[in-house]
Amino acid sequence: MNHGAANERVEEIFCAALEWKVPAERRNFLDRACRGDSPLRSAVEEMLEARSSFEKAFGQEQPALASAREISKALAAAPDFHQQMVSELPAGEEVGERIGPYKLLQKIGEGGCGSVYMAEQEVPVRRRVAVKVIKLGMDTKSVIARFEAERQALAIMDHPNIAHVLDAGATGTGRPYFVMELVRGIKITAYCDENQLDSRQRLDLFIQVCHALQHAHQKGIIHRDIKPSNVLVTLHDGVPVPKVIDFGIAKAIEGKLTNQTVFTAYDQFVGTPAYMSPEQAEMSGLDVDTRSDVYGLGVLLYELLTGKTPFDQQELLQAGWEEMRRTLREREPHRPSTKLDGMRAEELTQTAIHRHSEPRRLKLLLSGDLDWIVMKALEKDRRRRYQTANSLAMDIQRYLHSEPVIARPPSRLYRFQKLVRRNQGVFIGVGAVSVALIAGLAISSWLFVREREARQEQAHLRVEAEQARGNEARLRGEAEARAKLAQAAVFLSRGKTAEADLLVEKLQIPLAEPSLEAAGVFRGLGDWNVTQGRWRTAGDRFLKLVQANQVDKSDMTDDATRDLLRTGPTLVVAGDLTNYRKLVRETIRRFASTQNPVAGEQVIKVSLIVPADGATIQSLLPLAGVVQQSISGTVPDTAKETYMVAWRAFALSLFEYRRGDFTNAVIWGQNCLGYGDHTPTRIAMSHLIMALSYQQLNQPALARSELALGRELVEAKFPHGLEKITELGSDASGFWHDWIMAYLLLREAAPAIDGAAAFVK
Amino acid sequence: MEDLLPLVYNELRNLAAARMVRESQGHTLQPTALVHEAWLRLVKDEGRTWQNRAYFFNAAAEAMRRILIEHARRKSRLKHGGGQERLNIEEIELAEASPDEKLLLVNDALQQLEAENPERARIVVLKYFGGLTNKEVAETLDMGERSVNRHWDCAKAWLFQNVRAQL
Repeated sequence: MNHGAANERVEEIFCAALEWKVPAERRNFLDRACRGDSPLRSAVEEMLEARSSFEKAFGQEQPALASAREISKALAAAPDFHQQMVSELPAGEEVGERIGPYKLLQKIGEGGCGSVYMAEQEVPVRRRVAVKVIKLGMDTKSVIARFEAERQALAIMDHPNIAHVLDAGATGTGRPYFVMELVRGIKITAYCDENQLDSRQRLDLFIQVCHALQHAHQKGIIHRDIKPSNVLVTLHDGVPVPKVIDFGIAKAIEGKLTNQTVFTAYDQFVGTPAYMSPEQAEMSGLDVDTRSDVYGLGVLLYELLTGKTPFDQQELLQAGWEEMRRTLREREPHRPSTKLDGMRAEELTQTAIHRHSEPRRLKLLLSGDLDWIVMKALEKDRRRRYQTANSLAMDIQRYLHSEPVIARPPSRLYRFQKLVRRNQGVFIGVGAVSVALIAGLAISSWLFVREREARQEQAHLRVEAEQARGNEARLRGEAEARAKLAQAAVFLSRGKTAEADLLVEKLQIPLAEPSLEAAGVFRGLGDWNVTQGRWRTAGDRFLKLVQANQVDKSDMTDDATRDLLRTGPTLVVAGDLTNYRKLVRETIRRFASTQNPVAGEQVIKVSLIVPADGATIQSLLPLAGVVQQSISGTVPDTAKETYMVAWRAFALSLFEYRRGDFTNAVIWGQNCLGYGDHTPTRIAMSHLIMALSYQQLNQPALARSELALGRELVEAKFPHGLEKITELGSDASGFWHDWIMAYLLLREAAPAIDGAAAFVK
Repeated sequence: MEDLLPLVYNELRNLAAARMVRESQGHTLQPTALVHEAWLRLVKDEGRTWQNRAYFFNAAAEAMRRILIEHARRKSRLKHGGGQERLNIEEIELAEASPDEKLLLVNDALQQLEAENPERARIVVLKYFGGLTNKEVAETLDMGERSVNRHWDCAKAWLFQNVRAQL
């Protein structure tokens, strides 16, 4: 068989043809691909036939082959296995022995992944340290290399609640060890229980732990393994002080964490799935940031409050690897207060006693704010969590001071969305039909794709290398940005808006990604700048808001589109048409296929504040369809519904006017005014659009009377022109951004109709 | 270190045995023998220098291949009256070939593929004898998953055409 270029072509078409499973479609493809080249075609068909014959003749499982495969895979796992055997030999280290400059004095702990000794260092200083010898066999060299990479960052951590990691090395038998500041303490949960600390005292300790993590995060260090045994409590003059230990160690041994076989083989090694964040369970490796620690803190807090972890460690391990990951990624844990319900009576009593409380009081204490604080820290989507350890601590402090907390119960809509997300498989079936269509395109660009794949792989490797280098700086930058945002949120909640704005102003780092917290900050600051009449600054804040508020990909909620209503008019008033048009393009791209009429209405309004080009109008057509369909034939029966439907009629009037169908614009305008709802902004705008339409229809008298009606409302609102917004408004009085839009429409209509430079002060 | 071998070996044997219990009772290939042989080969060939997973996957799959083929040869020699060094392919109608004979046919074709396109042959060994998924093969050979899949499809067609040409 020849292996020349011709053969390569045969193979390409052969592989492409396999993408078509339906015979008729496959034939169709071959017709197109071979274009009458019958030797080519028969060569491909021969290959197709041979391939399926191979599967028929040799593909079926014969027992010997099947077991051979099993065994081959077992063999392939042997290095790990071998290593495990090595590690389970009696420990090489013994008290009295010397490891490097450290003399082992006493074994003080034994964990899944190693033994901890109290040791004495003699040079350069004589001091007691803790030496942790990692028991499991692993690639010592790379563990130490990873540790060295973080060493500098570890060294600059300086916080009373952090135990220093001092050194790392290899023992005589080739196992990695870490040397840490010696902490004489017990794990935080045990300390709290033994001393029957009540919830408030526990929270006080916990806040200190948050501060320790915040400090580390600002130095670019992620702990990755927050759990009670890594948070020890010692007494300083009778005052309990929590100390976080093991910084840098999880990172150094992470190579092993990402290995599935190791996990299943030695569950004691990972040991802490109960504390693992969903993104850590994902094991994508690159994708862990400081917010993983926020999750870990959430689990710790959960346990401090209820005595249990959100998911039971044993159950997680017994469920098996895949199921465990699924649970961590998808299952909602019980709220702390609900967790108590699941306990047996004596267990519950015991839990309460440990907290210096009794069952009913404890449950009452947890339900409400504390529940939501914990649940916010445990959000699956890290963008919904507290963005920093500090903001978690702040919220707890707010709770302790009986101030309103940031954490909120999830809305019903949000819960519904989560349900949809969990059941996505069901919904995807619908999409499969179109796959066949798309496949045609994909195959014709076969060669291109193959080459691109190779290039992408190269690029990917390069990016990875760069990321590894820039990682620390990036993490530090991100942590700093989040910290500033969190700080701004605090300023905002205390009414110190100017300070908050200043802080954000200086924020040079672009937002790493959307988060609800950031959205809240930018929304508040945008509104505030609007009340100061600082349109450009407001526009900048709102643009950031739009960026930040992309946590919900879904358009089921009109949260995101509402924010656009703030942004569009502000940009136009600020004279920033470049950014406005960019916003419109982005908005249409994002929401073009929404079926939600509220979102549709809002997108239309935002996109058509000023005259738009044909392409924009075209791309809005489907949305106009959705909006129109939603109100045709319906008679709204509640005030709220009337309000919403009337707005949709206005959006249609605006749309028709902008696309040049003036008769329809008038019809929708009249329809809009016909509802028994008196939102002044909408009424003003409807009159103005009708005025503009009549003018185009060559009915100047009608145009003028409509203009007068619109002008009266807008001038009553802004008797001195548009300087700044004095009140943010409401459904009934009209929101400020709608007033701005009305103002802009008046500015458009007045000169066109009475020629006067109306209303420009 | 040598003391560890029995430990490892034992565990592997247990693992294999547990699997085999669930398999059909009829065949004569003993898991013990299988693992024993495979393990000895690995240890004898390379000592303990299994630096990475890729190497191990390759070695394991290759070991299984050799064991299966030798086993099949022995059996078919018995069946065909002994003495004969190689299986007489002309006597086989593919539809009636025993599993062992099929293995030998595939292996013969595979040897030719090794001469012509060693990379592709490696994929066949990993998938057919090693039981690796496309993803594992991709990782082992450091190539894209889609490329693995394509090579495997082409190899199947090639192997069958080759087997048929032999018959």
